[in-house]
Parts: sequence; structure tokens; C-alpha cells
Amino acid sequence: MTYDASTRRDGQSAGSTAADRTFWGRLSAWGPYHALMRLTTASPRRQFLILAAFPILWVLTQHLGPMLQMLRVSLTDAYPVAPGVEQSFTLDNYARFFGDSIFWMPFFRTLTFAGVFTFCTLIITYPVAYFLARHVSRKNQMLFLLLLLIPFWVGEIVRTYAIMILLGNTGAVNLALKTLGLIDRPIPFMYTSFSMGVGIVYLTALYMLLPLYSALEKLPQSMNEAAADLGAGAWTRFRRVSLPLTIEGISSGCTLVFLISTGFYATPVLLGGPSTTVFAETIAGFFHVAGDEWPTGAAFATIMFLAALIITTVFQRLMKMLRKGESA
Amino acid sequence: MNDRPELFRGNRIFLACIYWAFVLYVFVPLILMVLMGFKDSRFIGFPIRSWTLEWYTGVFADTEVLSTFGYSIAIAVLSTLISILVGTWIAVLLEGRKFAGRGLTFGLTLLPALVPGIISAIAFRIYARWLGIEPGMGAIVWAHAVHNVPFVVLVVMARLSTLPKSQIEAARDLGADPLITFLRITLPYLVPAILGASIFCLLLSFDDFVRSFFLGGYEPTLPVMIFAMLRSGMSPEINAIATVALVLTAAIGLWAERFTRRMNKER
Amino acid sequence: MTDPEPLVRIEGLTKHFGETVALDDLTLDIARGEFVTFLGPSGCGKSTTLRILGGFERPTRGRVILDGADVTNQPPEKRQVNMVFQDYALFPHMTVAQNVSFGLELKGMGKAEIKRRSDEILSFLELESYGSRYPIQLSGGQRQRVALARALAPDPALLLLDEPLGALDAKLRGQVQQELKSIQRRTHKTFFFVTHDQEEALTMSDRIVVLNHGRVEQDGTPEELYFRPASRFVAEFIGETNLLSGRVRGKEDDKIVMDWHGQTLRGLAPQGSPDQGEPITASVRLEKLQFHSERPEMPNAVRGRVVGKTFLGSRMAMEIAVDDVEDAMLRAYVDAETGARVGSDPVWIGWDVDSMAMLTD
Repeated sequence: MTYDASTRRDGQSAGSTAADRTFWGRLSAWGPYHALMRLTTASPRRQFLILAAFPILWVLTQHLGPMLQMLRVSLTDAYPVAPGVEQSFTLDNYARFFGDSIFWMPFFRTLTFAGVFTFCTLIITYPVAYFLARHVSRKNQMLFLLLLLIPFWVGEIVRTYAIMILLGNTGAVNLALKTLGLIDRPIPFMYTSFSMGVGIVYLTALYMLLPLYSALEKLPQSMNEAAADLGAGAWTRFRRVSLPLTIEGISSGCTLVFLISTGFYATPVLLGGPSTTVFAETIAGFFHVAGDEWPTGAAFATIMFLAALIITTVFQRLMKMLRKGESA
Repeated sequence: MNDRPELFRGNRIFLACIYWAFVLYVFVPLILMVLMGFKDSRFIGFPIRSWTLEWYTGVFADTEVLSTFGYSIAIAVLSTLISILVGTWIAVLLEGRKFAGRGLTFGLTLLPALVPGIISAIAFRIYARWLGIEPGMGAIVWAHAVHNVPFVVLVVMARLSTLPKSQIEAARDLGADPLITFLRITLPYLVPAILGASIFCLLLSFDDFVRSFFLGGYEPTLPVMIFAMLRSGMSPEINAIATVALVLTAAIGLWAERFTRRMNKER
Repeated sequence: MTDPEPLVRIEGLTKHFGETVALDDLTLDIARGEFVTFLGPSGCGKSTTLRILGGFERPTRGRVILDGADVTNQPPEKRQVNMVFQDYALFPHMTVAQNVSFGLELKGMGKAEIKRRSDEILSFLELESYGSRYPIQLSGGQRQRVALARALAPDPALLLLDEPLGALDAKLRGQVQQELKSIQRRTHKTFFFVTHDQEEALTMSDRIVVLNHGRVEQDGTPEELYFRPASRFVAEFIGETNLLSGRVRGKEDDKIVMDWHGQTLRGLAPQGSPDQGEPITASVRLEKLQFHSERPEMPNAVRGRVVGKTFLGSRMAMEIAVDDVEDAMLRAYVDAETGARVGSDPVWIGWDVDSMAMLTD
């Protein structure tokens, strides 16, 4: 077998077979494209700028922009501005929040609810994640997890409605309790903080389950066995081995669930009652009426966002300290 | 599971009970809701004594309901296309590249996913007004697209991080410019991630209530329509509509799960 | 190297990665049709040189001239240079034939031409029946050949090979070394090979450049490097050797006379002759030591006692404690029969002047 590589045949043949080129060959040889590429890739720096310009513009204008605009509107006295009226900056919208308990009550209620519901979600999903990660064989893990994923593809509203049917006065729970002879009259579960809690935990459980599962899955089984070998009982093993090593998963799961919980609007409206009005409803109220209430709504949303941000940041710091304390 | 030590058996049975109880918790409400859609009575409540398909035939005869389905699907598809395009672009910029402000860009990229729902809806509403976008389909598509970008970025970045750098270099070495390299090497490699992210975006958009509610015009999306119907009381029609939506989303989700798993296995 | 028009001319190439200097003022020429190997430990700068030649890195300073043209700032796609990657980097979603055609397509060749050309190169590398397979369906050796075929297809002026045998098992590696050398001969291509494996370098190369800390330690044929290492580093890095540290006693023609613990030894002088009294190190290859029962008629001879033997199959490694010199051990290879004969009686070890290289470092 001989191979004559020294003959540069391609140079001669390229022209004669131009029409026969592949798509990519034609594209890269096409004048305008060639010129464009030469222009855009002239230097690594220029190439980077062209690659980076759009994403950076996008995150600034589309991701950060709405938040900044909300902040700006919250500092104005009227929005949208009526023609001929001077718009001025003011802190009144923020002052209004503290002036009336009708505003700050729902605010604190929302934060309390979100905290409590987050804790409930953690308590409920931790054993589930633990079971999935530690007691189910690798082969079946995806299947068991998938079983839990399916209901979570269903939307917020449909699932909220499902809870309404479950907990209603003529709902499944009351029917079951009655059949068992435990109650004579139905228990009014609906339109209370209980029904709201059941609904919100139902909606957010997956966001807790997944971080916990991935944290637990990383723990080697041998760690537990070693602890057992050293005479640690089930509770001690959990307390001293699994829990400290999954703090990161707990931290991110709780942060996610807390942020999501504070943002629900439809679920509290449908499942809650007058005594459980959350801040989302208060904020929404300013946008249902005439436009001049927008600045107040924006101010309240800003307050809410800052509060959620501060709480989750402090929480994450605490968890980090806790983890360091454990390992020390 | 025979390889698990005997020692942990008691725990296992206990935890298995919790797991199955949790499965019941997530499935039972949905199953009950579906069953209620077949009850031969306008009254929502138990027990169910006789069955009917009346509500379904009624719903499918209603062109308004059907057009709402179409409207929601159109919004989902359009917003997903934008999210995928933008998200992939951002992921390509951020993955494996060091530059000043990368951390900040990454943080800003994730921002829409971290802002609580109501606040995000309000912020989009105000911004849309400022940009001059009228409430309606365009505004919803835009809000959904922005909101879903972070998820696309995370999924695509995860996949991109597993592409050996030598693949890119080999293509360049063989005469491909950066764009052709992206189209012929990087993009085919990203297909499973992009498909997975697309399905996720479609579901997020299709299920979204709060952004659709605050940015919508007169025409409601499906969740907004169900919400409006619920405010005037429960009715079996809602069950029928919700069941169709449920079957649709669960079917897409399951199909995507299988499909992406097969794609990942092939590579 | 005296070629008036070398294929590659590397001028003062320097590369910094932050604080670390990966390549420090490297200058050398590569002639057409040469099989050059860059050899050195990891971090010595060999891969950096390769990546600069490929266009994947830009040097901090210096130039690369390819075929008379400055290509220092040219991107990889513009260069008449192709590369065989360490992990082969075959495109998993393309068949073998598509992989090989990739570079040809982008050269703007017609479909018929691409087909002819890729068939030709595939059959040249005995891969003709694998064209429609995907890389995942091939063995390690086959993948390596596909990578080679893909890199050779666009007819590069210079072929870069980045430790392409690293992923193969030891048995296959020997065979592939021979193949690679023969392919290089038959194609008359210039091969730029990078490895940390000295045996690989010695087997295949026309010329070896040993790098350490971004600088050239020695540049020469495999034989020169093996028998006349220029520095302690080269002597230790390539093959096994005895290093004898002593002082310069004087010079005789092109020989150096050294004092080694009271013994007078003679070896070939290094470049730049050291002065009398200066410390110096000599290197003697293990297989160059000869065993005698009486003092041999050789310029270098010491008396000692065998204190250890290791059977290695075809040969035997001996450890000899030299008489009157504390802590001085020599190691030697002898054929198994000689090795078995040598007992615990004192022996004489002798070697030639040519077998001992004096090292400056």
C-alpha cells in the first residue's frame, strides 16, 4: 500500500468541484460568511465580546431591569404618570406600610406561614429522601423518584383544586372520618391556615425533596455502617452522621421552599380565608384598581423581596456556621 | 436489597411506610379530583354514586375552552423557543470561561428563578408597562421566557461541562471556525439537554398562573381560566378541564423523561 | 538543523501562565520529514509547545514560522497543522468516515473528492471496513488509527501528536509504535510527537528534544541522548544510569580526568570544559559495565563485591559495593549466565572512556 501524501491535490481540485461541495464546505468558503467570520474572530478579545454582549445585555435588561424598575416606581408618587403632572420621588409608599396593621399583619403572617410550612415540608420529605437514597437499590431509585415527580408536573392551580376537593366539608377526608365514626359533623378544614398549609406543602415538597435526595445520595453507605459498628443507635447515627453531612441539602431546600412559599398568590386565595390573608393578596390588591396605586404595590413588593432575601441569607449563614461547628 | 445489613431492617420498614404514605399524599388528591369529574351530579363532594361522561362532552364542545388550551400551548411553545435560544447562549458564555464579572453575570442569570412568584409577576407587570408592552399574549410570552431562562442555563451548563475540550479543539484543528464548531460539535452534543430543558420550560409555562394572571389581557390562559371558574364555585366542568390538563402535562413529562434518559444512555 | 529552509522555526518562544513560566525562550528548527519528539516530565513545557504550534495557545513572547510564514497569531483552523489528541477527540455522533471527512469538507473539497480521499486514507490505515461504524464501536487501537487518519486526511504540513499512545495497554503500545514510525516514513510527513515516556521517544524518533522547566536540556538523536547525555537530568530521565560525583583532576585531549573517591576515571568531555578542581558528575550506563576476575586493561576499573542480584529474565541486575569507597554502589546489567557465575569473591568492574559521559550539572 502506498500513500502519496506529498501531492497537494486538493488545491487543484477545489475549484473544479465547487458545486459539489458539502453544505459546510460551501458555507465556510462563501465570501460574505468568510468576511463576517474574519471580522468577528479577528482576535480572541473581539470574539469574546461578540459572544458576551447579548447575554450580558439580556441579564441586565431582562433579569435585573424589572427589579430595578419596580424599585424606581416604588419611590415615586404616581405611576404611570398622567400627562402634565410632575412625577416626584418620595418614601411615602414605604411609610404607608408601617402605618396600618392591615398592611403589616399579612406581611408577618406570610413570613411566619412560609417559615412554618418550610419546616413542615422538611420534616415530611426528609424521611422520604432518606428512604430513597439509602434503602432503595440504585436500579429502582429513578423509578421511585419518578413516581413522585409525576404529580409535580401538574400545575399549581389544578393541584390546589385537588386539595379543595380533598379537604372540603363533603371531601374525602371528612367522608372517611365520618365512615369510621370518629365525627358526626364535618370538620371545617377549608379556608383555614391548615388547608393553606396542606396545599403549600403539597406544591413545594419536590423542591425540598430533590436537594435532600442528592445530598443523601452522596453519603457512602459505609459511613452509616461504621457508625453502627462503633455502637451508635439509629437516632445517634442520624443525629451525628446523616444530619450534619446533609446540612447543605437542607439549607438549599429550605431556601428554595421558603422563597416559593412567600410568592404564592392563587393558592392562599383559594385555600385560605379572611383570617389568613397573605401579603401577596395585599400587593395584588394595588394592581387591581386604578394605576395610581402601583407605586405602593411596588414598594410593598420590594419590602417583601428584601425581607425574603435577608431571611434566607441569614438562614444560610446560620446553617453554614452549624456545619462548621459540627465538624470542629 | 439483600446486600443491606440486617441491622437497618427495622428502619427500612418504617421509612418505607413513610415513603408510601407520601406517595398517597401526592397521588390521592389528584385521583379524587379526576374521579369527581366523572360524577353524575353538579354537586362536588363525596360519596360518588353514579358516573357520567357528560362534563367531558360538554367541555370539548365548548370552543372557548378549546381555544384556551390552544392559547396556553401557543404561549408555552413561543416562550420556550426564546428561553432555549437565550439560555443556551448564556450557558455557552458562562461554562468553563473565566472573565471579570462572571460571578455577577451568573447570579443575575439565576435571579428570575429566585424571585418569589408574586413579586416577579409585579415586577414584570411594571416593566412591561414601562416598555410599552400591552397586557396579553406578547407580555405573557415575554415574562415566561425570562422566568424560564435560568432553568435552561443550568441544564445546558451541566451538559456542556461534560463535553471534553479536546472535541472543540479537534474541530478547530480540522478547519472549522468557532461558529461551525458550535453548530457541528457543541450543538449536537447539547441536544439531550436542550430537549430536556424545552420540556421543562413547556410545562412551567403551561402551568404558570401568577405571571399569566398579572400580564394577561382579556383572553385567559388555562390556569387563569380555571382560577376564575373556581372563584365562582366548584363545578364538575372544572374537574374535566383540570383532568385533561393533568393528563397532558403528565404524559409530556413522562415521555420527556424516557426520551432524555435514552438519549443520555446513547452518548 | 542546517536546513536553509526548515519547515518550522520556533523563535524565542515564551509562555507564562500567571506566575508560572511554562516555556522559557525556546528556539529551534524542525526540518521537513523529521520525526521530532519533545520529551520531559509533566509541566516541562512540551504540551505548551505543542498547543502553541496547533494554535490553541498564544505565546507570551516569541514567534512560530511555518513554511516561511509567521503563524503565531493564526487560529487553529487557518493552519496547515493537524493534531492527534491524547483522548483522540473523535466526534461521537459521526461515523469513522464522517470523522475523517470533516477536515476535507471544510477545505472546500467536492463530495466525490472527499469520498475518494477518505477511502484512500482509511485503506492506507487498514480501516476500510470500519467507515460506517461509530467511534464507540471501535477498540482503543482502532480509535487511535481513526484519529491519525482524520488528522492526516487534510494533508497537513506538520502533524502534532499529543501522547497518543497513553491510553493504550502496554502490549498494544509496542506494536503501535512501530506502525506510527512506518506511517511517518511512508507519508514523508513531519511528525511532532510529545511524550513523557522515554522508551517511546527512543524507539520512534529521528530527533529528541528533552525539556525541563520550560528549557531545552538536550537536543539530539536518540543515540546521542542515551550515550552522551548533556546533563544530569537527561542522564537520569532517559534509561538507567550510574551517576558518579567527583572532582575534575585534569584534561587529556577530548577527555576529562576525574577523581572519584581516590579512583582516577576518564570520560568524554562535555560542552564547555570545566576547570580543575571543580565538582563534576559522570554517567555510565548499566549495560556498559563489564565484569572481570582480574584488573582489566581498561581506562576505568574499580574493584568491588556483588551485594545484590535481581533476575530480570534475559538479563540480571547486579549491585556492586566498591572497595575502599564508602556508600558507593554501582549497578550493572549482565547476561543471566554471567550473573549466575559471579559469586561473593571480589570482582573487577571496567568500562571504556566512550561509555562515560561527563555532565556539567
